[in-house]
Amino acid sequence: MISQVFILSSKGDHLIYKDFRGGAGNDIVSIFYEKVTALTGDQPPVVMNHKDIYFVHIRQGGLYWVATTTAGSSPFTITEFLNRLAALVKDYCGSLSEKSVQMNFALIYELLDEIVDYGYIQTTSSDVLKNFIQTEAVTSRPFSLFDLSNVGLFGAETQQSKVAPSSAATRPIQSSREQGGKSEIFVDVIERMTVVIGSNGLLMKADVEGEIRVKCYMSSCSEMRIGLNEEFSIGKSQLRGYGAAVRVDECSFHQAVRLDEFDSHRILRLCPSQGEQTVMQYQLSDDLPSALPFRLFPTIERDNGGRLLMYMKLRCDLPPKSAAINVCATIPVPKGSVSLSQELSSPDQSAELKPQSRAVVWQIARFAGGTQLSALFKLEVPSLSSASMLEVGPVGLSFELPKITATGLQIRFLRLSPIQPGPSQRWVRYVTHSDSYTIRI
Amino acid sequence: MTDSKYFTTTKKGEIFELKAELNSDKKEKKKEAVKKVIASMTVGKDVSALFPDVVNCMQTDNLELKKLVYLYLMNYAKSQPDMAIMAVNTFVKDCEDPNPLIRALAVRTMGCIRVDKITEYLCEPLRKCLKDEDPYVRKTAAVCVAKLHDINAQLVEDQGFLDTLKDLISDSNPMVVANAVAALSEIAESHPNSNLMDLNPQTINKLLTALNECTEWGQIFILDCLANYTPRDDRESQSICERVTPRLSHANSAVVLSAVKVLMKFMEMLPKDLDYYGTLLKKLAPPLVTLLSAEPELQYVALRNINLIVQRRPEILKHEMKVFFVKYNDPIYVKLEKLDIMIRLASQANIAQVLAELKEYATEVDVDFVRKAVRAIGRCAIKVEQSAERCVSTLLDLIQTKVNYVVQEAIVVIKDIFRKYPNKYESVIATLCENLDSLDEPEARAAMIWIVGEYAERIDNADELLESFLEGFHDESTQVQLQLLTAIVKLFLKKPTETQELVQQVLSLATQDSDNPDLRDRGYIYWRLLSTDPVAAKEVVLAEKPLISEETDLIEPTLLEELICHIGTLASVYHKPPSAFVEGSRGVQHKRLPGSTESGESESPDTASAAAVSDAPPAVIPSQGDLLGDLLNLDLTPPTTTGPPPPASSGMQMGAMDLLGGGLDSLMGDESEPPPIPLRMDTPQSPQLPHQSPSPPDYSPTELGGDLGGSPAIGAGFGAPPAAMPASFSAPVSGGLDDLFDLGGGVGMPMGAYSAPKTVWLPALKAKGLEISGTFARRSGVIQMEMTLTNKAMSVMTDFAIQFNRNSFGLAPAGPLQVLTPLSPNQSIEVTLPLNTVGPVMKMEPLNNLQVAVKNNIDVFYFSCQYPISMLFVEDGKMERQVFLATWKDIPNDSEAQFQIKDCHLSSDAASNKLQGSNIFTIAKRTVDGQDMLYQSMKLTNGIWVLTEMRVQAGNPVYTVSLKCRAAEVSQWVFQSYEAVLKN
Repeated sequence: MISQVFILSSKGDHLIYKDFRGGAGNDIVSIFYEKVTALTGDQPPVVMNHKDIYFVHIRQGGLYWVATTTAGSSPFTITEFLNRLAALVKDYCGSLSEKSVQMNFALIYELLDEIVDYGYIQTTSSDVLKNFIQTEAVTSRPFSLFDLSNVGLFGAETQQSKVAPSSAATRPIQSSREQGGKSEIFVDVIERMTVVIGSNGLLMKADVEGEIRVKCYMSSCSEMRIGLNEEFSIGKSQLRGYGAAVRVDECSFHQAVRLDEFDSHRILRLCPSQGEQTVMQYQLSDDLPSALPFRLFPTIERDNGGRLLMYMKLRCDLPPKSAAINVCATIPVPKGSVSLSQELSSPDQSAELKPQSRAVVWQIARFAGGTQLSALFKLEVPSLSSASMLEVGPVGLSFELPKITATGLQIRFLRLSPIQPGPSQRWVRYVTHSDSYTIRI
Repeated sequence: MTDSKYFTTTKKGEIFELKAELNSDKKEKKKEAVKKVIASMTVGKDVSALFPDVVNCMQTDNLELKKLVYLYLMNYAKSQPDMAIMAVNTFVKDCEDPNPLIRALAVRTMGCIRVDKITEYLCEPLRKCLKDEDPYVRKTAAVCVAKLHDINAQLVEDQGFLDTLKDLISDSNPMVVANAVAALSEIAESHPNSNLMDLNPQTINKLLTALNECTEWGQIFILDCLANYTPRDDRESQSICERVTPRLSHANSAVVLSAVKVLMKFMEMLPKDLDYYGTLLKKLAPPLVTLLSAEPELQYVALRNINLIVQRRPEILKHEMKVFFVKYNDPIYVKLEKLDIMIRLASQANIAQVLAELKEYATEVDVDFVRKAVRAIGRCAIKVEQSAERCVSTLLDLIQTKVNYVVQEAIVVIKDIFRKYPNKYESVIATLCENLDSLDEPEARAAMIWIVGEYAERIDNADELLESFLEGFHDESTQVQLQLLTAIVKLFLKKPTETQELVQQVLSLATQDSDNPDLRDRGYIYWRLLSTDPVAAKEVVLAEKPLISEETDLIEPTLLEELICHIGTLASVYHKPPSAFVEGSRGVQHKRLPGSTESGESESPDTASAAAVSDAPPAVIPSQGDLLGDLLNLDLTPPTTTGPPPPASSGMQMGAMDLLGGGLDSLMGDESEPPPIPLRMDTPQSPQLPHQSPSPPDYSPTELGGDLGGSPAIGAGFGAPPAAMPASFSAPVSGGLDDLFDLGGGVGMPMGAYSAPKTVWLPALKAKGLEISGTFARRSGVIQMEMTLTNKAMSVMTDFAIQFNRNSFGLAPAGPLQVLTPLSPNQSIEVTLPLNTVGPVMKMEPLNNLQVAVKNNIDVFYFSCQYPISMLFVEDGKMERQVFLATWKDIPNDSEAQFQIKDCHLSSDAASNKLQGSNIFTIAKRTVDGQDMLYQSMKLTNGIWVLTEMRVQAGNPVYTVSLKCRAAEVSQWVFQSYEAVLKN
């Protein structure tokens, strides 16, 4: 059971404080803030306690979202709840920031009253909630399609802003009601890759976690049908049709998704509620249908002058028309590395030595498929021994692959019924991120 | 216009301004003013002075304004109870409003106003709302019952709200059902004994129906409630599982985890050979893996839970090793948790993969993680024998890196590997010795010293190495000092000629210059051992060591069961039962997993004990013969290596006997025999041994003390009456020694063991006038047959002799029957015959039957008698905790037997003491809610270990004993011993 919920700014200011059960002192908020700021990185920040009060918190939008609870409850439930709460507040207020929460405190209190009663979570579905909520959201500035200044697709700065206007992120769901304005729906397929490549170049592990996310700004959408690849299959043994199957190991669906056409035609049916929701989550391990996006060929040696030479050849194996963006390779180097000199194969790359993290960071803004880049790093390492050579690696890569899914999952079609009156826009976007892409040396 | 301006007014006269605005006629202005008030309230300003003005705004048909006013009321009503009454009328009126939103709002708010006077007025509206036609109102009213119960429980009962609430479980609307379940569960928690939530198949069915329809959060309430239900049989259990399984693919991980909890619990009831059981196992894996794709914080919670699940049912995730491989960017707390699970899942099938990973981890940056990875390699070597060689070579590679902390960790684990596989990998010692100088952590130094001492005969310069440590003896930590002492004594025993000086030096350092009682005591023991009987010393110090357990950090089985029932909750994160961290929580109930129906035991006390005893006759158990074979071979080596090594320990036992005889003899001062080392026992000037010294078994937290493992046996030897000590032992010293041995767990104390009164074994009628009555006893570690021979014939009897038939435990007379004088008519004589257990073995029926032949000048007579099996419990039957846990887990549950001991009025401590007198050792004790759980072990002379858990409830004269043993047929005899010991 949840006893209290509060939202704090990163500086510890009280933005929202709601006590569902009575009895706890107001100083509990400051106690929490003291505790959370005293946490070090290697402690699990899941649950903290003060006497018999337990704090569960998450951080979103630069704010602390905290719930207190008694001992018998489940941290999982509460964390999930806080995530939903943050998402709802974002949906209702348009964006998540100290300012938007402060401006909409009355709305948030009203929401909290409907979401939780006496610590029992009632509902977090914006469809249900819209029947009860009276307060209108207040936004800091009028919404404009052209206001793309602080917009990044999926939170990352992309150079692909032409792909889709992601201004959705800063739009409150209710505003469509009175604006009667643009009906838009966004379907995002987002995948995260975890890859480990052994020092012998063999693939040791490759996992993909993916999700289909729907952001809906439609006032009157009764049903939406999302068609996935017909050859999509779940589980290890199932085979459908011929050719390259799109396969995942396991998937789970949002409660609102109806699956009656899923088995036969791979169609998800749902009535999207206003705002953002994750419709489907899936994962695949080990058996990726396409080649890995990157290969690294490292050569590491000491030269006569006692310097450490690292020759890195990085190949991008994406299809030639695609490209990876924001590629960043982090190469751990021996401790005591003093300075770095480098030779890079093209001018749009950069590299530097970060002594605190003991790593060379090599950045490539755009990396086209089918090409290869190389770099030679020379490191001054006083007291370089053979043992310290072992400290080199493993190389970690982070990147973003727009318009690509690692599993091959595609949205065949997106149909709304009844047919929307007036202009409506449907956007489908794909992206694959690196979660952890490790190449051992 | 934005709301942020509400936060900016900080002027002094603000309250007055607000007051004016609140009383304004314009609705908009009023609303703005209330918003301002609430903004001030949020940031912690006191705006209670405005109470009447705000309450005045309550009567409005504007829902938004009404909600704001209610928000204010909830916050301040408590501080202004009299004025809160003013609001009551409006509440009551609102509860009749045609708009269901307003009805619900009123009843919700009223419940949150924790003022007694108001609650009186709440009852009528609440009663109506509970029967409201609108489900939204009903679900709000259901929660309100819980609120009211918290304020005034009696009122709720008197008004009959609880019954209405129960009716709501059958409501047509799933949301109402979910809230009713949540409210009832919480109320039931505060009345542990009421049957508020009397779950029966009908209600369960309703809950399962609602489960499919209600919101995700409602599903969690219902699943948590289901988890408290105990199905009647495996079929019901299966049908519930089938209906819960679809929840596993829910997107909300909290729902998934609650479903996992229900399934894990109900699975206990399913027979393992059922197809469905296998299906369920397969279905559980993917959702657990999915949990790991969450944010690190949730991953951590998930991993803690998976850790529990893996300990209970490793088969679920045995093919999913890869998902636990550590990602480079995982936070350290996730990494460590993953590592732990990896080791638990390691098996022969996946060991190569695991090792490759661990080796990578060992070169990472994070020191803590690297250390744990190196330890993990060692644990793999111990767990999977086939991989040991590869692990050792991996460790050697790591040592070559010369990274200081890696080297030290590696040495610590290599020590364990040596322990597990003696005489196999000694070739690496040279490499280890090269790194001697770089070791600066006590644990690593102690490990290295242990290795040098253990293999002193193969290390040419062992004495130099140890001597180098000795220089800074007093700066070392206790761990290192103790190890150094032992190692040098070992060295001396192996190479006595060159190392006399060294051993004298260390003994005097330990006994005279040290303030540490442990160290001093150990020093004295060695000193005396060496000076009295080096042969005995060798047997004690260089005895074979008990094996180390392969699983570490296991959670106690009962605790694990309880934690499984709390999957998903804080308890599962802390790995502690809720009672351990909830102070004064109201009525924490202990949850236990339901027993499997397979074993067919119904827990009713009468049948349980009866069944256990009467069902036990060997004929019923088909595999008897095999088991017996094992039993009779005397080396019942457990199939896995977890168990303790029976042969070694019984060897120990004999060593101790020797000590008693030989050791004391030489002690008794046979002056002609020169003491092996010319150490003079003139220690009187040494400080008096401290009496408060901690108990000797503490010397050795883990394996290190294995070499001293014989200490209880030494106790047996020296525990003989101090009076028998030679005069040169001055009083304080012997007193101290005595004390020391008392602390050794009362081992070898002549008193305490229970022996039955004598019974007539051989009636005079059958034996031509010779009557023999007798009993068995174990005194000072020696089994004795105590007999009274009575001559009821007319003639004198002489030439007595005795012989045993082969028997189950190889009991045999250790000497001739000592009847020195002829037995004249009507005379009785008491004879004590010491027995040993090295005689020929044959399985008897019953197991503890002994056939005896007695001869005298008249004839040979045969009789048979039964000895209590407690005679066979040896003095070193105290298992190490870790070993106990591992063994308990290792023995399959179906060989667990349960007994009840009735009418026993001892406290648990008294019982424990009493049992200890008969060598039934209490290893650990846990108190849960007034119930004491004693974990006990005992060992039979042939090395069979028996493990028990005894539950004692204060005030309840019935004890429950659960017993696990690899040789199941001893169970009933052990049980008899328990009963006999406890009741006498």
